Amino acid sequence: MKTEMIRLPAMSSYKILDYVWLALMAMTLGSAFLAESAEPSLLVTLLIAVTVGLKGRLVVDRFMELKNAHPYIRFAMNFYFYMLPLVILLVFLFPEFIADITRLKH
Amino acid sequence: MQPTTPDKPHADAAVLADCPPVDNRVPGNGAVWVGIFAEMSEFALMFLVYFIAKVHYPELFDQGPLKLNTTAGVLNTLSLLTSSYFVAKAMKSVRMGRIKQAIRWLWGTVSAAVVYLIIKAWEYYWNADNGIDVDTNLFFTVYYYMTFNHFLHVFWGGGAILWAIMRLKQGHYTADNHEGMEAIACYWHMIDLVWIIIFPLLYVLR
Repeated sequence: MKTEMIRLPAMSSYKILDYVWLALMAMTLGSAFLAESAEPSLLVTLLIAVTVGLKGRLVVDRFMELKNAHPYIRFAMNFYFYMLPLVILLVFLFPEFIADITRLKH
Repeated sequence: MQPTTPDKPHADAAVLADCPPVDNRVPGNGAVWVGIFAEMSEFALMFLVYFIAKVHYPELFDQGPLKLNTTAGVLNTLSLLTSSYFVAKAMKSVRMGRIKQAIRWLWGTVSAAVVYLIIKAWEYYWNADNGIDVDTNLFFTVYYYMTFNHFLHVFWGGGAILWAIMRLKQGHYTADNHEGMEAIACYWHMIDLVWIIIFPLLYVLR
């Protein structure tokens, strides 16, 4: 059976997926480098938090295609990937305060 | 059983591939989003436990990641992200009416999932050989609880992808009708998203 070839626009979303995948691979390898070499610091924690947020947003927007989905769904998924990086930073900055408010016995 | 639908491109395939059907839509169906939000809430509770345990036992959570096999964690991440990429490609292919191509992408997803499962199983053996188990300390209890729970999700999510392949082969999903496949795709991306969080928490963050 003859299959008609379809020419996609130069920068179609089909092609963009390739670049998104490459970006995700690069960020993962960057995280691996941090895991192996860097000592804990605010900068490293900030980098990790930003990477989590960026990777999450890329998957939500590009792979899951929620960019134009129902606002409740889009908001909920994006909220997750704003909150997680924020919590990662807060736990690094205020560990003792968080330990105090989550302690069962004083 | 109907024969496999040939790769007959949809009339406006390029346009359909470039933009999902309508704005403000619910991708897949409402039921799968109930499931996705339930799963995300379940994992959010696990992350909460992780953070609380981390602030109470900082030394364990500082040393724990150093004892894990980072290479296994990285390979797990690469395979899951790649599997998600394959699913996204499969969805675009279906919208273009390229059913055979979509099936090939989904077999790629299944392969990446199997790679993930093999690496994770190997990692558990590697841990055991290095004296690490669920009772070693609180960090590893959290590690096993989170990763094994996720392992199960990859396993049954892979089963759902196989189901989508079967439905594609039977001609149930087309360029105009692929709601079920989109629901499965969203569920698979959710599994990937959860790992995007688990990986830095357990292998990188100290």
